[in-house]
Amino acid sequence: MIAITVLIMTATVLAHHSFTAEYDQHKPVKMTGKVTEVKFSNPHSWIYIDVESEGKVVNWALETGAANALIRRGWRKEDLPAGTVLVVDGWQARNGTPTANVNTVTFPDGKKLFAGSSNEQAKTK
Amino acid sequence: MIEVILSLAILVVRTSCLKSAITLLVALCGAAQAQRTVAPRALPRTAQGRPDLQGIWRPQSRAAYDLEYHAASYGVAPGRSVVDAGAIPYQPWALQKKLENYAHRKTADPLGKCYLPGVPRIMYLEYPLQIFQRADQVAILFEWSQIYRLISTNGKPPLHAGIESWMGDSRGRWEGDTLVVEVKSMNDKTWFDMTGNFHSSAMRVTERYTMQDADTIQYEAAMDDAKVFTKPWKITIPLVRQKHMDRLLEYQCQAEAEETNGAFERDDRTWYPQLAPGQQPPAPPAALPPAGPLPPVRTGANLRRIANSRQTPNGRPDLSGYYEAEPVGANYGLEKHAEDFLTPESKGALIDPPDRILPYQPWAKAERIDRELPHRGYDDPTAHCFVGGVPRSIYVPSPFQIFQTPNYVVLLFERMSWRVIPLDGRAHSPDHVRLWQGDSVGRWEGDVLVVDTTNLNGKTWLNEVGDVVSHAEHVTERFIPVDREKVIYRATVSDPLVYTKPWTIEFPLNRQSEELLEVACHEDNGDLQHLKDVRDDYRAHPTKKER
Repeated sequence: MIAITVLIMTATVLAHHSFTAEYDQHKPVKMTGKVTEVKFSNPHSWIYIDVESEGKVVNWALETGAANALIRRGWRKEDLPAGTVLVVDGWQARNGTPTANVNTVTFPDGKKLFAGSSNEQAKTK
Repeated sequence: MIEVILSLAILVVRTSCLKSAITLLVALCGAAQAQRTVAPRALPRTAQGRPDLQGIWRPQSRAAYDLEYHAASYGVAPGRSVVDAGAIPYQPWALQKKLENYAHRKTADPLGKCYLPGVPRIMYLEYPLQIFQRADQVAILFEWSQIYRLISTNGKPPLHAGIESWMGDSRGRWEGDTLVVEVKSMNDKTWFDMTGNFHSSAMRVTERYTMQDADTIQYEAAMDDAKVFTKPWKITIPLVRQKHMDRLLEYQCQAEAEETNGAFERDDRTWYPQLAPGQQPPAPPAALPPAGPLPPVRTGANLRRIANSRQTPNGRPDLSGYYEAEPVGANYGLEKHAEDFLTPESKGALIDPPDRILPYQPWAKAERIDRELPHRGYDDPTAHCFVGGVPRSIYVPSPFQIFQTPNYVVLLFERMSWRVIPLDGRAHSPDHVRLWQGDSVGRWEGDVLVVDTTNLNGKTWLNEVGDVVSHAEHVTERFIPVDREKVIYRATVSDPLVYTKPWTIEFPLNRQSEELLEVACHEDNGDLQHLKDVRDDYRAHPTKKER
């Protein structure tokens, strides 16, 4: 798993639409939660995590890269089983739903899952 | 034939004229032999001696409604069964599920939602399809939603095996004169027809394409799915050559649906005018003066291009292969700009005008600025998963395949659309026929492929920040091979409704050892509702400041 995550550190999220239109840079979010589902899809994949806050559990949808880009880097959805704890920071959707475009996803020990934002793409290209 | 010969022989023997009978038999057998050898020669064949399946075809069948024998009902044409045993051999539970599907067919049919139809259903929708063939690949292009199948016949396993998709993974081989295609890894979300006939994700389909004569392909598909059926079964459908068609048009299912239900709104400034029946199309706007001389290709000293590119037997560069455009950021703005929150930087793809600024007319510049407001994100057609148009399809962040034959260059975009570029010198389609990917014709200028594209519909954006084009867009593209793995791509866009002069972009296309996968965009689009919420909120509170 770790070898794979290193491999896909530079996985890029390239949008099929404007992320800037969809997400709010004035709503940065940070959260820790457990993976409930990974949806490997195009043009974007989604990681769903349960985040507990003040006794309530909210299921967040985290938008990441295209499945095809991840597949070409050797990633499979089975590599991120349900229950995996992730630490996420990113920006919330403008419509206020528990949806975020991720900037970084890390494991609790600080290892990065992959760079998830289009910002990261801009820096690496 | 043999029966005829025997009857004749008996007849002749009865006349006790044995010698004549033997002579007659020899003559008849000779004729039969000649027929057996003449018939295959009548098939068109490729340089490799395979049957040449290329052309535009259409299924001659009512299977799209129902694979089994069925009477007519409103909107359903009657038809005979194309299933070998007459009926599909369902397991009892599966027959129950089929009946449930049937009861809910009007809302539950995945095709009704414009989802990818899977195999074999795509093969017998009542839309034409076009086959292109190379020694190592077969491509089947469909008018329905401009989707395609790319079938490798080189015997190699897939690079990324086991990835489940709507259309599955197709691998072909030739068995004598029959193209045999094995299809695996399809999901369980597609149906066979409008009546709810279904399968599981364990299904494997074996297709057989056999030319019966120059104008008929016998298409067979054998279904093997032990989870749903009691035994394998197959369908047989003739595909008939469409001699009167010289090109496929477009039926963009989801775009047509959203234009009809109001989810995707018309923009009179850029879209081609709506013509009432019998109304004459408007005169095209006066063309812009041609672009001035362009700077030389930025490739260093490599001027002996043809010597360094792959070549076809007739001496043309062979552009075929999987390509990724070098990410200069054109999809985030054709002019150079810095990163802005989640919009990546653009290095600027323009090489002309020399100031590398798009020569907008004032109204179009204002529109371009407006499109960057959050509530306009919903208006970008690619946010709806509609096709990118020309030239955007080349530089969206997704690969494409060039499939080249002596008479065509075909572009297959991973984001599920195609462009067919005939090289036979034909004229463009009639002016009022307007298409998402336009009407392209190509020619070779030395070792450079030049493609001229008109008939665009003006519905597309040039990128996600909203650079503008209209239906008056005329694109001249140049594919300039500079070494074995690199093609310099140039596109000159002339649009007299939007710009004051033509402009040109340039960036490299890099050939790679990869394979296309499937992008089922509309089927998995999790973003559009968010963008719609932002748009709807703006319309409800138009004075609220957008951030």
